Amino acid sequence: EELSVVGSWSGLPLHIQYEAPFWGEKLPAASGGDITVALTTHNQMNLGVGDVFRLLGDGVYDVAMTVADYAVADAPELEGLDVPLVAVTADEARAMVDAARPMVTEIYHDRFNSHVLAIAPYPPQVVFCNAEVNELADLEGLKVRASGRMTAKFLEALGAEGVNVAFSEVPGALQKGVVDCAVTGAGSGYSAGWWEVSTHLMPIPLGGWDSVVTAMNLDKWNSLDADTQALIQEQVTAEFEDPAWDSAQDALVNDIACLTGNGDCPAGEARNMTLVEVSDADFAKARDVLVSEVLPEWAERAGGDWAERWNASVGEVVGVKIGG
Amino acid sequence: MIWAIAVGLLGLLALSIPVGIVLFLLGFGVDTFFSPFPLIRGLGNLVWSTSNNATLIAIPFFVLLGEILVRSGIATRTYAALDRWVSWMPGGLVHANVATATMFSATSGSSVATAATVATVAMPQAEKLGYDPRLFSGAIAAGGTLGIMIPPSINLIVYGFLTQTSIPQLFLAGLVPGIALALGFMAITVVICMIRPNLGGTRRTFPFSEMLRALVQLIPIVLLFTIIIGTIYKGWATPTEAAAVGVAGAVVIAAMFGGVSIRMFAESILGTVKITSMIMLVVIGASFLNFTLASAGMGRELQALLDGLGLSPMGLIFVVVLIYIVLGFFIETLSLMVVTIPIIVPLVVAQGFDPIWFGILMIVLIEMALITPPVGLNLYVVQGARKGGRMSEVMVGAIPYVVAMLIMVGLLIAFPSIALYLPSVLSEG
Amino acid sequence: MEDGLLRTLRRLNHGIALLTGVLLMGCAAFVLADIVLRQLGSSFGGTDEISGYVMAIATSWGMAFTLLELGHVRIDILRGRVNALGRALFDLFAMAALTVTVTLIAWKCWPVVARSLANDSKANTPLETPLALVQVPWFAGWVWFAVMAWLTLIAATLMIVRGRFQAAEDAIGCFGEEEMVK
Ligand code: NA
Ligand code: NA
Repeated sequence: EELSVVGSWSGLPLHIQYEAPFWGEKLPAASGGDITVALTTHNQMNLGVGDVFRLLGDGVYDVAMTVADYAVADAPELEGLDVPLVAVTADEARAMVDAARPMVTEIYHDRFNSHVLAIAPYPPQVVFCNAEVNELADLEGLKVRASGRMTAKFLEALGAEGVNVAFSEVPGALQKGVVDCAVTGAGSGYSAGWWEVSTHLMPIPLGGWDSVVTAMNLDKWNSLDADTQALIQEQVTAEFEDPAWDSAQDALVNDIACLTGNGDCPAGEARNMTLVEVSDADFAKARDVLVSEVLPEWAERAGGDWAERWNASVGEVVGVKIGG
Repeated sequence: MIWAIAVGLLGLLALSIPVGIVLFLLGFGVDTFFSPFPLIRGLGNLVWSTSNNATLIAIPFFVLLGEILVRSGIATRTYAALDRWVSWMPGGLVHANVATATMFSATSGSSVATAATVATVAMPQAEKLGYDPRLFSGAIAAGGTLGIMIPPSINLIVYGFLTQTSIPQLFLAGLVPGIALALGFMAITVVICMIRPNLGGTRRTFPFSEMLRALVQLIPIVLLFTIIIGTIYKGWATPTEAAAVGVAGAVVIAAMFGGVSIRMFAESILGTVKITSMIMLVVIGASFLNFTLASAGMGRELQALLDGLGLSPMGLIFVVVLIYIVLGFFIETLSLMVVTIPIIVPLVVAQGFDPIWFGILMIVLIEMALITPPVGLNLYVVQGARKGGRMSEVMVGAIPYVVAMLIMVGLLIAFPSIALYLPSVLSEG
Repeated sequence: MEDGLLRTLRRLNHGIALLTGVLLMGCAAFVLADIVLRQLGSSFGGTDEISGYVMAIATSWGMAFTLLELGHVRIDILRGRVNALGRALFDLFAMAALTVTVTLIAWKCWPVVARSLANDSKANTPLETPLALVQVPWFAGWVWFAVMAWLTLIAATLMIVRGRFQAAEDAIGCFGEEEMVK
């Protein structure tokens, strides 16, 4: 069985440390050579990020993985997988993802003609500011670069102004004051040198965890025999998804240490950004905004009974209820 | 597969099928013969995602800007003014061609647009003053290529877009090599005309007072450059948005220093739509071909080929330079970039080379491709502006400038700081 | 008859190209206004998103004008070395290749629109632009290009069949009259 696999961003640790070894070596070995894999990534194919799962559903390739948030244009209900600020630690994020999994599976089945194999985390999307910021309320009136619709809406609800800037232009934009703050993964911000052009780091997942969904074209999945299906699912969970999650919390702690100099930095030289501690009261206020404005708006976008289903699954786990 | 693609490309191009269509046909071929997957199902999405692109809108904006400058008469007067200043050197007016091209390069993002602008205003002078048509037209074709090295530059925007490299940094990096190339073009012209004075026509000297008065004519173009580059480095606009600022600036400047009319705008608009669609058909075709190649494992094949050579980092650079020189004979430049960047740049960066430096090196090679036959768009542009004369004359005339570019390639490899010094100094907080 | 057809096509696409150019200039004005607003501490938001849509639509609708102006770049190596009949055959073959390809592209663009309609897709941005709203005009531009290509191919074929090689070269040759003054 030859599988054509399209991985997530080729330069990021999730691909280098987990995806590439899993699809390139572990799965073919575990299948005793029955499964071979041709692996590339969506950025090497120069695909639009919104096209990755569309083309998977069309059968252009067999397996694809990328950030679920990139696909919400076709499936607004998918935004509920990755809500900002409700999960602070990796364990909480994993519980959130596990609670959402049945919904995600159904969404991918219906919208993208594909079968979900795994949901792995990118590091949480934290806030880099080139401005004096001491609490969340200080974001009000600042120009903030966000990616993704729910994060942008959340920032607007907090009184910030969303500005669109490409990832590669963010350092220049921060330096020149085109934006005051920018949201990205702590590790990406470290390796892309954002610490050179920003002073304050707010280590809360204002952009959520950017869950990466791995899915297989449904026709392809159904064409496999039950043993092969079981083998692939077992292997993906044990050798890809679990290890990726297990290292997520450590990675976050390390990345923040690297950026602020509080603790050891295994990735290289530690920097000295100011760590902004977000108080409980501050946090509660932000969640209020989330629950009273951002999530009800999402419920409307998603339509149907998605809000109730979300309340009964993810909401239960993270202790948030839409609509009261 | 690589050889099949190369033969297919040359064969289809030789049949004089439009270049953009050739790229689509090759993509269909790769899908049919080299891929087990129905890649054609991705065609529609590829066409949409490639053209729904805020970065590429800089292309029509820059073309429009150039059209307005030509049609308002500003281009002609800039040329006349530079003639006063540089034509005293051996080679005479040939230097004015290079100098004018350099000036317009600083406001235009496109080499074809730059060459066309200069050719339109310069060519009538060649016959009048008895210049050797070869050197005279070769200098225009070569000078025009500076349009993509001296900022702003569509090709650098595309490079930055595809490699996720900072576009303002790339613009800074291109400035010194661009000016060095312009000086190199002039130097090689002087050398040739000292050896064979009859090639250069008459050297022209003007009274100093006239030279000073001519400076006034350069105000519009300097003003426009300042507006475009200033907005980028002041942080008011991204490089793409600055192209829109440039259009507005050109309109205002044309109204102040030249002539504007509804008719002029209509003609500028039509020219813009025509060139933009031509470029976009090539870009979209290249994007689809690239997608099929990546799916069919072209990256792995090329990687294996280069790995098999067991190259040192420097060896890799020399092979890559060679690849671009050879491909540059045959392939249209924007497609050459779009097709090769996703494959070549990761290999080069993995060897520890700076992606900004490599972007500039690639631009010199792309400039060379614009003036090497058989496929050299600038050669055709200049020939088109001539009244008669053989195509081969332009090709021969461009050869000295290809030599200058080869020297520049060597210098960039030996001294990367030619490109990297400016961005490293100016990007420190 | 074929001359009349081509004249009509040229006139139609001349008008469309003007509209397309006005759309592009409007987009430039919009971007400029946003830059100015940003200096004043405000913003429309989403200029880059809208620029992208304008680019997609302007590109597809400008294609046919460029075709009729002989603006799609071709390589003239072999074609330049043969007689009028040979050139006519080169041109006809190239035109047929273009027509078939463009028809296929237009055909394959439809599923993109269909999927956006079926999912009621909205852009992953604060603007939440309904994708069908911008993809339908984009798709229509490619269909228009395909239709124009077929009509031009038919007109040129008629010219060549009747031995009118010069007229055919003016219609589908390599270089337009004012080619290269750009
Ligand atoms: Na330029
Ligand atoms: Na060439």
